[in-house]
Amino acid sequence: MTKLPIKISAKNVDVFYGAAHAIKSVDVEIADKMVTSFIGPSGCGKSTFLRCINRMNDTIDVCRVTGDIMIDMEDIYDRRVDPVQLRAKVGMVFQKPNPFPKSIYDNVAYGPKIHGMARNKLELDEIVEKSLRRAALWDEAKDRLQEPGTGLSGGQQQRLCIARAVATEPEVLLMDEPCSALDPIATAQIEQLIDELRSSYCVVIVTHSMAQASRVSDRTAFFHLGELVEYGYTSHIFTNPSDKRTESYITGRIG
Amino acid sequence: MNLYHSKIHRSLLVKDARTQQRNNAELRFRAYGLTAVSVGIVALVILLVSIFTSGMTAFQQTKLQVTLELPEAKLDKKGQRDLVAMKKVTTIGYFKVLGDGLIAQLERLGIETGLKAKEVREILSKESAATLRNAVLADPSLIGSTVTMEFLANGRIDGYFKGRVDRASAQLDKNVEPGQLDIADALAERRLMYTRFNFNFILAPDASDQRPEAAGLGVAILGSIYMMLVVLFVALPVGVAASIYLEEFAPKNRLTDVIEVNISNLAAVPSIVYGILGLAIFINMAQFNQSSPLVGGLVLTLMTLPRIIIPARAALKSVPPSIRDAALGVGASRMQTVLHHVLPLAAPGILTGVIIGLGQALGETAPLLLIGMVAFVREYPAAFTSDSGLFGEASTALPVQVFNWTQRADPSFVERASGAIIVLLVFLLIMNALAIFLRRRYERRW
Repeated sequence: MTKLPIKISAKNVDVFYGAAHAIKSVDVEIADKMVTSFIGPSGCGKSTFLRCINRMNDTIDVCRVTGDIMIDMEDIYDRRVDPVQLRAKVGMVFQKPNPFPKSIYDNVAYGPKIHGMARNKLELDEIVEKSLRRAALWDEAKDRLQEPGTGLSGGQQQRLCIARAVATEPEVLLMDEPCSALDPIATAQIEQLIDELRSSYCVVIVTHSMAQASRVSDRTAFFHLGELVEYGYTSHIFTNPSDKRTESYITGRIG
Repeated sequence: MNLYHSKIHRSLLVKDARTQQRNNAELRFRAYGLTAVSVGIVALVILLVSIFTSGMTAFQQTKLQVTLELPEAKLDKKGQRDLVAMKKVTTIGYFKVLGDGLIAQLERLGIETGLKAKEVREILSKESAATLRNAVLADPSLIGSTVTMEFLANGRIDGYFKGRVDRASAQLDKNVEPGQLDIADALAERRLMYTRFNFNFILAPDASDQRPEAAGLGVAILGSIYMMLVVLFVALPVGVAASIYLEEFAPKNRLTDVIEVNISNLAAVPSIVYGILGLAIFINMAQFNQSSPLVGGLVLTLMTLPRIIIPARAALKSVPPSIRDAALGVGASRMQTVLHHVLPLAAPGILTGVIIGLGQALGETAPLLLIGMVAFVREYPAAFTSDSGLFGEASTALPVQVFNWTQRADPSFVERASGAIIVLLVFLLIMNALAIFLRRRYERRW
C-alpha cells in the first residue's frame, strides 16, 4: 500500500479499560512524512489508540494494552523503554489548548530544558524562536514572549502548544482533535500549519470533522466500536469506501 | 385545552399566581440566609466586645514610685558586699525595708493615714520586694544610698484605677481597706502612682496566685512559638509529601482506600486522644521531657497532619488534568510534572490549609494538659540546651495559660485571661494575614 518508509506499525493491538474492551485487534501501518487522520464516531477508540502511540495511557491505572506498537521497528511497550524518552520523540497536541500558566517563552522552553537540549540561554532562545516560527506564531508572539501563554487567544494557544510539542524535536506528532475548541479561522490556520508540518514529521491527527480529514490528511483510518474498519488513501476512503459502515458514516447515517 | 389557550394569551405585565408564589419563596429563602449571617455576626461582635472590654485593661498596669533608703544594717549586716552573705536576706526582709521606705515617703509628703504599717505596706505588690532585691543584688553599691524606684501596686489598688474596685466593694473585701484607696488617691494626685502600658504582660513569666499584677505571658508566648516551629517543620514536609504521594503516585487500590478513609477519620479524632497518645509515645516511651514544647509540638503535629493532608490533596486534585497531560506530553517525568507544574499551582491552596492547621494547633489546649504543659513555669525555656536538647525545657502555651488563669481565685486574673485571649487572637490574625499575603504573592507569579 505504501512506498514511503513506515514510521509506526501496530500489530494486533487490544486496549482494555478495566473490563471494557476499547480497542479490538487493530493492525495499522503509518508512513513517515505524511498526515494520517483517524476518524470515527465518539467513543470509537480513535483517541485511545492515539494515546497508545506515546503511552499516555500509562497514566490511567485501569488501562491495559496488549499487542505490539513499533516505532522505527522498536517495540515501544518493551520493558526497557522509558515512556519519558518516548514522549520526547513522539510529541502530542491535545484537544483543548493547554498551555502551562507560564510565559510564552517558558512554555516552549520547558521541553528543551528538561531534556537538556540547550547548553546555554542563547541556544535556548534559538530553539524557542525556531519552534514558534514552525508553529506560525513567531510574528504574533515575538514582542510578548514574557507574557503568560494563557493570555493568548484560543487559536494562538493551540499554536503555542504545537510550538511546545515541536520544541523537543519529535519525529512523530500526535494531535487529538486539535481544532475542536477553535473557531473556523483559527481552524484554518492550524490546518495550514499541519500542511506545513507534513514535510518534517509523521503527523497523526484525530478529528471529528470529516471535512478536515479530507482537507489535511493523506491517509485516513476509520474506527468504529473499537475496530479499525477501513484504512487507506483519504481520497479513496471518501469517494469509494469499501466497507458499508464507512460509507454510512461518511454519508452521515451513523455517528 | 382551554387551560393552555388561556396561558398563551396572558399578559407579561401581570404576574400569575405561580410566579408570585415562587418569588415569595425566594424572598423567604434570602431572608433565612440573611438572618443566619446576622446571627453569626452579632455573636462575633458580642464575643469580641466582651473579650476586649474585660481584656484590654490587662495591657495597663498601676505602678508607684518610692524613694527610699537602703540601710546597710538590714541588707548587708557584715558590710562586705559579699553576694553569698547578701542572699541570706530574703524578700521578707526587703519587703520590710521597702514598706518602711513607703511609710517614710508618705510622712514626708504629709499624707495622713489611719492605717497600720502592715496595711500601708500592702499597697505594694508582693512582687515589688523581689524587684528591689534583684536590683540590689545586681548592684550592691546601692546599699547605704537613697534610691528612687518604680514598683508594681497591689492587684486591688490596680483594680481601683481600672474601675474594678471602689470604696463600697473595698468595705466588703478582706484584701483591701478603703484607707488604702485614700493613700492611692493621694499618691496619684502627686503623680507618684500612675498606670502605664504593661510591657510585662507580654514579656514577664507567670506569677503566683498572690500576685496577679505581676503575671505575664512571656513563657507562654515563647512556648507557643516553639511549638508552632516544631509543627511547621515536621507537619509541613510530612503532610505535603504524604498528600503528593497519595494524590499523584499511589496506585488506586484497597490499601490506599483504607489509608484515605483513615486520614479522614483521624481529622475527626478528639484532640485529647492525641494528648494520651503523646503521653504514651513521646514521654513514656521516647523519654522526652514532659511539659516541653518539643513534645507539645509533636502532639500537635499528629493532630494537625490529617488537617493539612486533606486540604493539600484537595488543592492538588483541583489542578486541571490538562496541565499534567501537557507536561507528560513533552516528556516530563512524573516527578517533574508534579514539582514543576502541579505543586506550584496547588501551592496557594496547600499553604492556606497549612496555616489554618497551624491556627488550630495554636489554639489547642486539651492535649497539652495531658503532657504537663499546664505546669507553673517561671523560667523562660531555652530553644536549645545540651541537657534537654532542642525545645526540651519546660514551658506553657498561650491557650493553656488562659485555662490556667481562669482557674485562679483572684478576680484580677479574669482580666489577665481575657488579655491572653486577645494576644492569642492577634497571633491568629498575624498568621492569617501571612497566609493571604503569601497566597497573593504566589498567585501573581503566574
